[in-house]
Amino acid sequence: MRALAFALALVACNAPDRGPRWKPAGATTPRAGGTLRFAVPDSIRTLDPTIAYDEVSFFAMQSMFATLVGYGRDSLVLTPELAERWEVADGGTTYRFWLRPGITYSTGEPIVAADFKFALERALTTPDSPFGPFLSDVAGVEAVLAGTTRDCAGIVAVSDRELVIRLARPAPAFLYVLALKFATPQRADHVTAAGAQIRIRPLASGPYELASWDEGVRIVLRKNPRYWDPARGHLATIEMLENVPRDTQFLMFERGELDAAARLLSPDYLWITSQPAWQPYIHQRAPMMAQGSRINVRVKPFDDRRVRQALNYAVHKDHQLKLLNGSAVASHGLLAPGMVGRDTELAPYPYDPAKARALLAEAGYPDGFRAEYTIIPDPEVEMLAMSIQSDLAAVGVHLEIATMSFATYGIAIGKPAGPALGYYAWVGDLPDPTNFLDAKFHSRMISDENSSNDSFYANPELDALLDAARTDVDPVSRAATYRRAERVLYDDAPWIWGFHRLSTEVTQPYVRDYEPHPIWLRDFTYAWLDVGDDGNPVPR
Amino acid sequence: MIGSAVRRLGWSLLVIWFVVSATFAMTMAIPADPGKTLLGPHASTEAIERVRAQYCLDRGFVGRYGCWIERVAHGDLGESYRTRRPVTAILADRIGPTVQLGLAAIFLQLVLGVPLGILAAVRRGRWPDHAANAVSLIGQSAPTFVVGTLLLYVFAYRFGWFPISGHGTGGWDRVHHLVLPAMTLATVGVAYYAQIVRSELVDVLGEDYIRTARAKGLSERAVVLRHALRSALGPLVTLIGLDLGVLLGGAVVTEFIFAWPGLGREVLLAILEVDLPLILGVVLVSAIAIALANLLVDLAHLWLDPRLRDR
Repeated sequence: MRALAFALALVACNAPDRGPRWKPAGATTPRAGGTLRFAVPDSIRTLDPTIAYDEVSFFAMQSMFATLVGYGRDSLVLTPELAERWEVADGGTTYRFWLRPGITYSTGEPIVAADFKFALERALTTPDSPFGPFLSDVAGVEAVLAGTTRDCAGIVAVSDRELVIRLARPAPAFLYVLALKFATPQRADHVTAAGAQIRIRPLASGPYELASWDEGVRIVLRKNPRYWDPARGHLATIEMLENVPRDTQFLMFERGELDAAARLLSPDYLWITSQPAWQPYIHQRAPMMAQGSRINVRVKPFDDRRVRQALNYAVHKDHQLKLLNGSAVASHGLLAPGMVGRDTELAPYPYDPAKARALLAEAGYPDGFRAEYTIIPDPEVEMLAMSIQSDLAAVGVHLEIATMSFATYGIAIGKPAGPALGYYAWVGDLPDPTNFLDAKFHSRMISDENSSNDSFYANPELDALLDAARTDVDPVSRAATYRRAERVLYDDAPWIWGFHRLSTEVTQPYVRDYEPHPIWLRDFTYAWLDVGDDGNPVPR
Repeated sequence: MIGSAVRRLGWSLLVIWFVVSATFAMTMAIPADPGKTLLGPHASTEAIERVRAQYCLDRGFVGRYGCWIERVAHGDLGESYRTRRPVTAILADRIGPTVQLGLAAIFLQLVLGVPLGILAAVRRGRWPDHAANAVSLIGQSAPTFVVGTLLLYVFAYRFGWFPISGHGTGGWDRVHHLVLPAMTLATVGVAYYAQIVRSELVDVLGEDYIRTARAKGLSERAVVLRHALRSALGPLVTLIGLDLGVLLGGAVVTEFIFAWPGLGREVLLAILEVDLPLILGVVLVSAIAIALANLLVDLAHLWLDPRLRDR
């Protein structure tokens, strides 16, 4: 018994100081060198930019692959990257880029315009690349997809430093497409020589290159000394640990084994956000995503707009935000904060159970109805589903919660007979409404087997608005058209609109010049470590 | 003896084939489609069909099974849908850490469980026996995720004696990383081994030949360790063999908690994403490990007990 008491006393006495253990050394200019360590709960799947289409792989690739245009350090504004300038001509159908002089890969080989052409054509001709559809507006794509040629007529390398891309129709979102990592330059001889090993042999054009990768365990990136921009690449190495559970990540962060921790679990989030000493080192960002409940509008009783509106009035969004500890903002639609065309004057549906009951009665359901609500196996999603279940029960709509694996759910909802109502999250690839509204609600995106429009929502008025905005090169009228589209969707309610989740990350005090990027989130290419002359953090 | 061994080998192969084929049949019932997994939400139906054809998913059960068996016969377990990496390469990477963890756990089960069982048996009815029983009860009742999390919290986070996560860079660092996952995995085994040893020893210590040994004036230590324990270890040999098979199939919860890059964690990720080639690959390895362990146990019994050889 005494031994047990002694052990318990030991545990209690050894509680680590939970405030920051270190402080910035006080440097005023970026310090070169050091290793920044962070972890992710999943695996990097591939480092082939033509194939990789998951967030974790993007974290690694963001540092290794540069594109013609990139996003500003902390914004959604496109800025010159490997192209020093560009011009858009012929009514928005011709894009002409001039590359920076002297840019090279990490191997020292020059980056030339033909490498961009090769990369874009590779996305079109690689059967399992997810990026082909992003190039559908480029002239000559049909012939490449049909297999009659591998040379896309619309992409022309005029010289080593000049690239021209012609579109079949104006597409104001096209520049955003070129900021995706599949559009990074790739050398044909490198891809051919690497063969199937291309997934582990990236040819770096960004601020970092691959140093080592123990798959599923750890990837180490080292500074690319040939990268053109001195504002990036201060760290000597970036180390990313794979498959570390989120709760473990926070423990490692507190012990100083990691320099940054993101997506904190509720207890960790609540604790750290309540600690004044940690406040300067907490970073919040609204990424390009929306969460809510997707509705198949073809299925009774959801085919009645009044029912869908009733569900929106009946869900108490404040309950959900409380469950998420305030790390979200309520939404009125799919477009995330900061996006072009988002109607900032539109407020989320208010909580009004009386109005919900009236709408249900008007639609012929005075006593409500029973329905199934499908979710994926995630504790947070289960919690939110139970909150919705409780809110809807108050207006007579009784939900039975069903669970499906993520992969199975993703396939099932693409079919008209799939789950009619359930949890959904949409993460955009581009900060442009086409990637949100066209993908999820335009009738041309409906198919019987693999419907991207998985609400099976078809509205000629919305289609016309989206079609007009998609090719409108005037940013002002384009944004106005999208705002009208948002109002159509708000009223028709093909979702129970939910919220935009905020991404929260905490860094050690000595990590400087880091803010999560709204698209890439964990972009450490500008960051540096404000540590002592011996390379170690300065104790607090 | 040789005939019996060959017969058992034949049965083992049959079991492996059955387990893997049954798993394959079950995967047919899952509406998994790598097309959408690989190509993302914007993929056209034609592109998805091309990928389905590439992975033989456009065929019926017989066609798919034939396609898979043909590949397996050539040593090709296909490519993971998630990573496009050959399944054989993934398994080759993951087997090493799993073997290290499994062997370390069995080692701990033996060095902790056997002495605990001996102590309980020789002090039967007294406080060491009660204490050992309590430890066994707790060890067998506590879920792995509780034990693992507790060990991680106390010894890695609070005391900082061990790393919180990962499997180290090799050598002593690997051993350092191995301690907590192995302890977690061994907890149930330690309790079980202690109970088995205690129970067997209690029976054996009442035998006539033990009384004779004591009457001849042998010390109690010699009686227990040289005579009684040898007889009591028989069932333990069977248990070790079976444990070896199970542990080499991967320890899902433990590997997940400690981010130990073994087969267990890999199969969990594969199941969550319905990565069928990888699921089948891991099932194949697990089935081989368990069948092999059973075969070794059977052969050990054949060798130890001549009466079994003609059965």
